[in-house]
Amino acid sequence: MQPSTHPYAPALMANGYEFSGGSGYALPQYPFSPPPELADLQIRRHEIVIVGAGLAGLTLACALNQYGVRALLLDEDNTVGVKGASSRGICYAQKTLEIFKRLGIYDRIAAKGVQWSVGRTFAGSDEVYSFDLASASTHNISRQPPFINIQQFYVEGFLVEQLYQAANRTVELRWHNRITSFRQNADFATLGISTPAGDYRVEATHVIDCTGARSPFRAWVAASVTAKTGDDRWCIADVRFKHPPPVERHTWIEAPFNEGRAVWQHLMADGVWRIDYQMRPDADPEEVSREAVVRTRINGQLGRDVPHDEYEIVWIGPYAYRSECLNQLQHGRVFFVGDAAHVVSPFGARGGNSGVQDADNLAWKLAAVVQGQAGPALLASYHHERHEAATHNVLVTNRTTRFLRPADGAERVFRNAAISLAKRHAFARQLVNTGRMSTPNVYSRSSVCHSSGGRALQNVALLWADGSAGDMADLLAWTQGHLLLLVFGHLNEKETRQLRQLARQTGARCVQVVRKAALATAKEHVVDSHGHLAGCAGNPRWAIVRPDSYLAASGQQLVDAFLTQAVRSATGAAA
Amino acid sequence: MTSEPNFEDADAFYESLLDAHQGLSREQSESLNARLVLVLANQVGSTQALLACLKVAQQTGDETL
Repeated sequence: MQPSTHPYAPALMANGYEFSGGSGYALPQYPFSPPPELADLQIRRHEIVIVGAGLAGLTLACALNQYGVRALLLDEDNTVGVKGASSRGICYAQKTLEIFKRLGIYDRIAAKGVQWSVGRTFAGSDEVYSFDLASASTHNISRQPPFINIQQFYVEGFLVEQLYQAANRTVELRWHNRITSFRQNADFATLGISTPAGDYRVEATHVIDCTGARSPFRAWVAASVTAKTGDDRWCIADVRFKHPPPVERHTWIEAPFNEGRAVWQHLMADGVWRIDYQMRPDADPEEVSREAVVRTRINGQLGRDVPHDEYEIVWIGPYAYRSECLNQLQHGRVFFVGDAAHVVSPFGARGGNSGVQDADNLAWKLAAVVQGQAGPALLASYHHERHEAATHNVLVTNRTTRFLRPADGAERVFRNAAISLAKRHAFARQLVNTGRMSTPNVYSRSSVCHSSGGRALQNVALLWADGSAGDMADLLAWTQGHLLLLVFGHLNEKETRQLRQLARQTGARCVQVVRKAALATAKEHVVDSHGHLAGCAGNPRWAIVRPDSYLAASGQQLVDAFLTQAVRSATGAAA
Repeated sequence: MTSEPNFEDADAFYESLLDAHQGLSREQSESLNARLVLVLANQVGSTQALLACLKVAQQTGDETL
């Protein structure tokens, strides 16, 4: 976040980021209060310090708060969003929405945001292909839609309010607290913090770096980074039309109105459209983002001289794609989360979404370790799992970059071949790569996932024991950060006794899953009427589900040594 | 991937390939070949077989250089 120009501006805690007639958004401002350290000059030790209250930091804070874990959240300014009305992330994927459901802000996102599932891809004036994600079997059993588009600052604002409104708040928010120094030993880190009221220091057992792509921690821990910078230049124009286009994602691989280069068109909340134009590699960022130049491009796109009052420009921003990934996501006491850990091109909604999913992955592990239910081995699995995810996202987005900005020669020849075939033949549409939409990552190298697990379970609908409607996210929230052991079907007395003992020994919450309420014998049970939960777990006899809705392991035998060991392994206990 | 003979009629295919390129500029031929590679690749489908085919083509190229 950028430093505020008015650090002492009074706090506006209202839901005040309403669209204010063309002059942009008035973002909320949160209160600064001098930290107690400035009064008593004590250096306090915090178990968890989260640095950066962006999408990743706020998700982590909200999740820890839900697990009842104490943490300190520091942010260098006192508002949400970056650069005023700009929104970095616009497109929130199903897995992210499922996390937001569990954190309690999904309904607000759904009410404010725009749902879409139809995407169309054009080359020249021809439609190359279209897709409808709503009909894809991979998406349709979750209670959340494939995607919702909404400005990032709304999501961040909802998370902040969720924290402030929590009945039992364990996370302390400190606005206008900027990190200025860092050092660490084997046991804790010491952070130097600067505020408008003076400077102080804190110690932290775990530091979570959520400071974004310009993270100072990367240099402080001498992190090695695998990076790739391309010459692809883009310019965003966020505009609001008086007569809005259809609610569909439109992508031009070769737009006739943009000198044959690519254009993206995507809707956000408040009728604001993001139009993203690919520029010449040698384009001058200042020139291409002049309002008159942007309006000329939009005239070209709409094929006429559009009067200024038919749309307003909310924000213009030129940028260059890059991809970066830290080779280690944990350095001693520091964990890197979100853009601080990895930056990818925006294709397929893999930036902010992976930050939220990083945070959700780390939150329950931190909670388990801080609450004494797991050892540090569980925290080490954060790197295994989320580095695999980041590496995958880099691979997938780099492939898209190569399709959209082919090198001269064979790369361009093959792209032309793919596009011309795709206009007539379905098979070639598979080759047209305008971004592969984000789906939950698979963890194949995790130290805490068995080969029968490592996949995300979707937020399927369930019925509670009393017959009322619920879903998987509710069930996970109910476990309060413990493992969930689902047992499918009938249980005899011996099995029930063994499961009760296993639950007592391991802290796992055991729930029977039945197709009809009449078949339930355990007190804690849910009804999976359509078999969707069983189906997405792969129809096992039992499944261990983690608080982040990932399957840790599954099996067919009750109650054997494998099950007992699988429960222990899921929290990093040695075999 | 099979490197055993698999053509129903190798001579006929070869002739058709040459006919298809007849009268084309180098650039047009290049485009035609690119489309053909993609169409044929979809017939094969299997990633393992495709990578094996790619390797055969690459290695043969090295020998003739």
